[in-house]
Amino acid sequence: MSESAGSVTKKQLEQQVAETRKAQPPVWYRSRPMLIVALAVILLALSWTYMLIHDETSMTLDQRVYQVASQLKCPICQGESVANSPSALAQQMRGIIRQQLQEGKSEQQIIQYFEQSYGPSIVWSPPWQGFSLLAWLVPIILLLGGTVVVFMVMLDWRKAAATAPAVSGAGTLETIEVDEKELAEYRKQVEEELAAEDPLFWRREEKH
Amino acid sequence: MYFSDLGVIALMLATGFAVFAVITAVLGAARDIPQLKTSAARAVLVVAVFMLLAAAALIISFLTHDFGVRYVAEESSLAMPWYYVTAAFYGGQQGSLLYWAVMLAIFSAIFVLSSKRAPAALVPYVIATLMTILTFFLIVLSTVSNPFTRSPVAPPDGQGLNPLLLDPGMLVHPPMLLMGFMSFAVPFAFAVAAMITGRLNSEWLRSIRRWMLASWTIQTVGLILGAWWAYHVLGWGGYWSWDPVENAALLPWLTATAFLHSSMVQERRGMLKVWNLVLVVASFLLSIFGTFEVRSGVISSVHSFAYSDIGAYFLVFLAIAVIFSLGLFFFRLPRLQAEQEFDSVISREGIFLFNNLLLTGITFATLWGTLFPLITAVVRKQEMTVGPPFYDNVNGPLLGVLVLAMGVGPLLAWRRTSMRALWRNLCVPALVAALFAIILPLLGVTSVLANIGFAICAFTASAIFYELWRGAKVRHSHGEPYVLAVLMLFNRYRQRYGGYIIHLGMVILTVGIIGSQFFQQQQDFTLNAGQSANIAGYQLTFLGNIDAHNSDNESITSQLQIWQNGQLLRYIYPGRTIYNNFQDQPVSQISITTMPNLTDIYVFLADWQGASQAQIRVFINPLVVLVWYGGLFMLFGGVICWWPERRRAPLRAAPVEHGATSSPAATTTTV
Repeated sequence: MSESAGSVTKKQLEQQVAETRKAQPPVWYRSRPMLIVALAVILLALSWTYMLIHDETSMTLDQRVYQVASQLKCPICQGESVANSPSALAQQMRGIIRQQLQEGKSEQQIIQYFEQSYGPSIVWSPPWQGFSLLAWLVPIILLLGGTVVVFMVMLDWRKAAATAPAVSGAGTLETIEVDEKELAEYRKQVEEELAAEDPLFWRREEKH
Repeated sequence: MYFSDLGVIALMLATGFAVFAVITAVLGAARDIPQLKTSAARAVLVVAVFMLLAAAALIISFLTHDFGVRYVAEESSLAMPWYYVTAAFYGGQQGSLLYWAVMLAIFSAIFVLSSKRAPAALVPYVIATLMTILTFFLIVLSTVSNPFTRSPVAPPDGQGLNPLLLDPGMLVHPPMLLMGFMSFAVPFAFAVAAMITGRLNSEWLRSIRRWMLASWTIQTVGLILGAWWAYHVLGWGGYWSWDPVENAALLPWLTATAFLHSSMVQERRGMLKVWNLVLVVASFLLSIFGTFEVRSGVISSVHSFAYSDIGAYFLVFLAIAVIFSLGLFFFRLPRLQAEQEFDSVISREGIFLFNNLLLTGITFATLWGTLFPLITAVVRKQEMTVGPPFYDNVNGPLLGVLVLAMGVGPLLAWRRTSMRALWRNLCVPALVAALFAIILPLLGVTSVLANIGFAICAFTASAIFYELWRGAKVRHSHGEPYVLAVLMLFNRYRQRYGGYIIHLGMVILTVGIIGSQFFQQQQDFTLNAGQSANIAGYQLTFLGNIDAHNSDNESITSQLQIWQNGQLLRYIYPGRTIYNNFQDQPVSQISITTMPNLTDIYVFLADWQGASQAQIRVFINPLVVLVWYGGLFMLFGGVICWWPERRRAPLRAAPVEHGATSSPAATTTTV
């Protein structure tokens, strides 16, 4: 089935190749897709760096209180932060945070203050030090390790598949024929994926 | 003779038949005696009937208010309406375990009834595995956690459900989630059967694909319903708090998602056999772990309604299941060779591997975060908390990359994709993403992270639509009008396009998550009658409190108006209800108003003084509503993927590449 579906496109492909041969566009035109993607990436990068630079809009006191409070666990609630809990204690703690922020203390100092009075379990996320550093490092290391392993495995499999030709890069030296062939191959692949057991395509086969 | 006695008898008989089914199935398969195999299959049906009988006995005990049954007295009261009385079935530990077991029996029966489609050699072992699991639950149910236990003196009225559970969410969320948990047992049973028989080709995978899809969809719905319930009941303005029990429900969902992707690689290319087995087994073990965690109280959580000593039973069961699966697994490792070779990193297989890496990464990080307080307590004798900031920081970026991969994946071909074709396919989505990244800051999205997230979502959404358009175009070029072409795509290639709908749902959900994560505003106000609060351009005017006394509760309702630009939008009534049996747990009636710009105004009555003063907490939650819509899309896509394809006449030219379909009924996948 896949071959017959391919033969349909092969004719179209030959026609296309013949047509494109007549007028050979310049190199930049042929690598247009890559240039467009590159342009999009540059635009994205520009937008984000611009935002990063101009992101120094000072937060209001409310927002800062919220930011500190959301890093603390409400000691008398189940699974709620000081920022979100409606309990009276949390409200009091928010008041303390506000007061200390107004006194000019840093976020870290305030969190330390609460840690001293309530113990380390009040901090909502494990600190980047000591034993609790493991909480952060283990998933990150495993993820990185996993990435390495997956790539090694993939490279290994590729070596095993020595017969497979190397993937062609997006070099500008390629001739149009190759480009168009790849394109048509892609089209063929889409059609093949769609063509499995689809009467719509069978009808076409019969005609040819 | 009470109905509860009938329930006890039904449980005992079910246990007997389940054990019988295990023995006959294994003997029948080992000695190849067809009569025994048939006998085992029929025993499964008998077990299902007895389990239904037990369930009926409990429901009748509830509906007839038979408070002599301890469980009924604990979970229901005369004042509760009948639907909550029925839902109290799974309101406590005993009942929820019974529900688990009943569902397992029903699913096993469905499996037996549809087992003609499954590879015949696997069927007895699937039955044996399912019935072994059920036997474990039945033992727990008839010993430590029996819902039918009677107390010597029947109290005149029951205690009633915890008021937090008296909510429409109770009617839908627990049954869905428990069913989802349970349903991972069926793929697991298939995996065990495949390992025992050594028939480890793609046959068993094809049989469980639809089971796994069903489990996945049920679990998705259960999770989304849980989030929705938490959002409109708990009053902290959010819907997901990375609570250990929420995590437990998410973990098997993540591995099931990974499996649904990696199984395609095995079906297509005969690779990743080992890995697929691992994922199926892990999904089941994680669901048992979740049940253990909820029940044992080892890890503290909001879902603390059901602690007991049965944790040990589950731990033992979990340990046996782990050892058994590991043993089988190493026994069969030599047979799990890949059939085909890998061609290129930049291919559909490659991105599926990457997807699996991300999903297992999220799974591990979540599991690690859940267990870390326990590890610290054991190793360092220190108490510590791992809360949302940890999960947000670790899983947030991973989710972003996952959504990005979701956009790139469908653009890649199997085996290998030429870079040129890739660039060409990336053009449109990349430009759309760039457009969003430039326009959004002008519209006031000042957070860089949110902007990156939105751009990724725009990229993936446009990639999905682009792919849909291209499929329609291919059909159009064969002479179909576009609308029909799109419909035919969905009709013919359910798995592929249903999958895109699910992806789209995930993108919508991610937009909702980003919106609520980065743009939530909240403020407390203390208002006297006639005073107004201003937040985010809305004005809330407080009118007064209404105190109402009902038969089993007292409710306080505040009346407020929402104004915008001098226009009255609507009246809202946030309130509190205090149930007589649970004086210390006032339930909040939260008022959530969704504005046309997809922003929720979430008002919570924190405190009140008499009729003329109220303390309210107002949250402005942009885009949260998209989380629910995303969930609906995922449900819809899941159903499309799952829906059986019409049986067609045997194919004229059996497609070699699409798997040598052994039986014509087996669903072919064209993803």
